[in-house]
Amino acid sequence: MMGKGKLDLVERLTNECIDLCQTVLRGRKRLEPLLDPAFRTQKLLRAVNEQKTAVNEMEAAVDRIIAAVERMSEIDFSDAAAAEQQLSACCDEIMEACCFQDLTGQRMSQVNDTLNEVEAVLASIADGRASPQVSVAGESLLNGPALPGNGVEQDVVDRLLATSEGRR
Amino acid sequence: MAVNMKMPILIVDDYKTMLRIVRNLLTKLGFSDIDEATDGMDALAKLKNRNYGLVVSDWNMQPMTGYELLQKVRGDDRLKSLPFVMVTAESKVENVIAARQAGVNNYIIKPFSAEVLKAKLKTVLGDF
Repeated sequence: MMGKGKLDLVERLTNECIDLCQTVLRGRKRLEPLLDPAFRTQKLLRAVNEQKTAVNEMEAAVDRIIAAVERMSEIDFSDAAAAEQQLSACCDEIMEACCFQDLTGQRMSQVNDTLNEVEAVLASIADGRASPQVSVAGESLLNGPALPGNGVEQDVVDRLLATSEGRR
Repeated sequence: MAVNMKMPILIVDDYKTMLRIVRNLLTKLGFSDIDEATDGMDALAKLKNRNYGLVVSDWNMQPMTGYELLQKVRGDDRLKSLPFVMVTAESKVENVIAARQAGVNNYIIKPFSAEVLKAKLKTVLGDF
């Protein structure tokens, strides 16, 4: 036979286990927005891919700029007309490469938006508040730069414009 | 008819770097009168105050997008035939179709080359 002291201890431990389970369940409930498959695939996964793509684009742009600068440093200025032409081509190359800032800026904005949503859910858990809803991709036409392989190239755009022009 | 290289052109983008890039490329092509706006609202105010010969606009801007600006331009009696070129990173088929249906004259995907910009402007404005 168990003494009363031991029974009290078992009861207290049981109650603590129940409280612990309830706390875990409440935590899981509050984490639900982040566990939503749509949020995980459309937002979290996309944010990771956007960030990777932005890093790759920055690297490619810097490579392009450095290559153009290297070509500029090798220009033979004894032939002024040819040098001017080469210099102009290098300037165009650098100018075009700088477009990366717009694209990576838009990609990093999407990463920031996703991180802000995750932070809002975690903060609500820490404060014991109800979790805010997280967003998933809607029907908006605003998607930002496409991830590699997801957008159309300029020649496809040209064909689309030509086709719709023909229908008019 | 020859293109008037002195016609005022309005470029619209919320990224200062892009405004500089497009301005530089247009200047290099020979255009000399270039104004800038940082979103659709800003552009619309400028379009109401001056007669531009061309708009080169980004799509993704706040509070008014380039697409909304295009719709406003096409809905305005004075501006409806103004050449409008979209230069944007939005590269889904539905974007291109929506822009075309709204009356865009050409659509350039970022990142773009100076050659592509020149070719599309020639399509819209004629040879220069």
